Amino acid sequence: MVFTPYDWNQHLAHKSDYVEDRLREGSPVVAVSFDEGVLLLTARKSQRKIFEIYDRLMYSAIGNQADIESIRIASIDFAHQEGYGRSPDDVTVQRLVGFAISPALKRAFNDATSGPYVLRAVFAEMCKRPEEDLFLTLNYDGEFSVLSGGAAIGGTPDHEEAMGQVLSSVTGDQTPGLGQAFEIALHAWAAGRMQTGEGDETPESTDPETRWKSFVKEALQTSIVEAAVLERDTRRDRKFKVLDTSPYLDTILGG
Amino acid sequence: MLSCGGMAPISFTGADPAAALPEGLVDTQGTTVIAVKFDRGVLNVGDRRATSAHAILYDRADKVLPLDDYTLVAISGSYARAMEVVRYLRHSFKYYERSQLQPMSLEGKLAELTRMVAGNVASAMQGIGGFIPVLSAYDLEAEEGRIFFYDGLGARFETTEFAAAGSGSERIRGIFDYILRTKRPFHEMALEEALRETLTLLDIAADLDSATGGYAKIPPIAKTITQAGVEELPESKLKEMIA
Repeated sequence: MVFTPYDWNQHLAHKSDYVEDRLREGSPVVAVSFDEGVLLLTARKSQRKIFEIYDRLMYSAIGNQADIESIRIASIDFAHQEGYGRSPDDVTVQRLVGFAISPALKRAFNDATSGPYVLRAVFAEMCKRPEEDLFLTLNYDGEFSVLSGGAAIGGTPDHEEAMGQVLSSVTGDQTPGLGQAFEIALHAWAAGRMQTGEGDETPESTDPETRWKSFVKEALQTSIVEAAVLERDTRRDRKFKVLDTSPYLDTILGG
Repeated sequence: MLSCGGMAPISFTGADPAAALPEGLVDTQGTTVIAVKFDRGVLNVGDRRATSAHAILYDRADKVLPLDDYTLVAISGSYARAMEVVRYLRHSFKYYERSQLQPMSLEGKLAELTRMVAGNVASAMQGIGGFIPVLSAYDLEAEEGRIFFYDGLGARFETTEFAAAGSGSERIRGIFDYILRTKRPFHEMALEEALRETLTLLDIAADLDSATGGYAKIPPIAKTITQAGVEELPESKLKEMIA
């Protein structure tokens, strides 16, 4: 079989279409930096979606379960080898994604003989101060962006843009507390999810706050909100904590 | 020169294997570490001295080390080997929990430590790198502290009240029993009382064993594990108790 440059182009385009198609329905994940740590939030059906990678790293992704798991395990392996061989201080999100994960994803994507990873991921690194916290969003083709303050991944660029607007409207000079960060993240999640056009029963004219909150209430009929934090100042060895979301949801959505 | 705990069933008797080692290759060792239960969990104390043959190398050694938020290991014997093992176990426990999405069972943690001690026998027999750990853990389900001690081959025993390891521990072995018989079990004591008893034990060990540091200059290390996790007692509190 002859493999021309045209075929190569086509092959990547096909792969890209295939992956984008499968990511479209993914429930978004939002990351927000707050004064006492870093928060990841999403809504899901059954399978857990937010994971601890290392002392100060956590991860979440949308896409195929097996691919999410492969990248999770590869990340944990790399982080622990580095942390054990050198020091936990040498395990950073920049090294993990930039050096280990992203090039491997790119190679897999370009490989004509295998299927692509179906995944879009976000990594969060907690640092000493909130303004130093780093977020990396990673695409199935190995492309990644480095962000601070907050980050969001969703099924399509439209979803992500809608979430980015919510995040940028609130990430001012003031670092939020956990309660506020939770509300920002939930709002951004709703903004992204509403882009799918499903489950949004309220008329356009309704006040935006009422609208996203009623959208979340509706979504909670069939899914649950999952949130986890890395705690900045805890004296415990384990900084990662899965949050009990019900008190936050009660406060925000009014019982 | 292997400082095995007094309770270690095996002993390295006969010619001192370390005597054959070139100067400079003698292990950093010599210790007394003590683990006792108290009413809310487990208390570990340890002296701060690290020795190499007859030299005192360091007077701020920390021989009571957390493996995770609910596990402490107190080490005696070769400092170099023990520290590497602690570093390995910390990573191993974390790796397991993160990758498997469930914490390693206490039994699993004990087995890993057994493997570390047992794998080290050959080099310990040659006089390098022998170490004896005491592992303390808080059992969140049973809501009680638990203490396990090891011998040099990796045999593991659970104790109901106390354990000690290191060259000084042999000298004070009988005092534990005396306290149990004449006062009361450690697990009924409040932290304050258990701390006072163990600090006295450590002071006696330092008086009787040259490789155990006293606390005239630097207070010992004391750490507890309770339902709230591992906590290091502040130096100020220890100084207050000693004075």
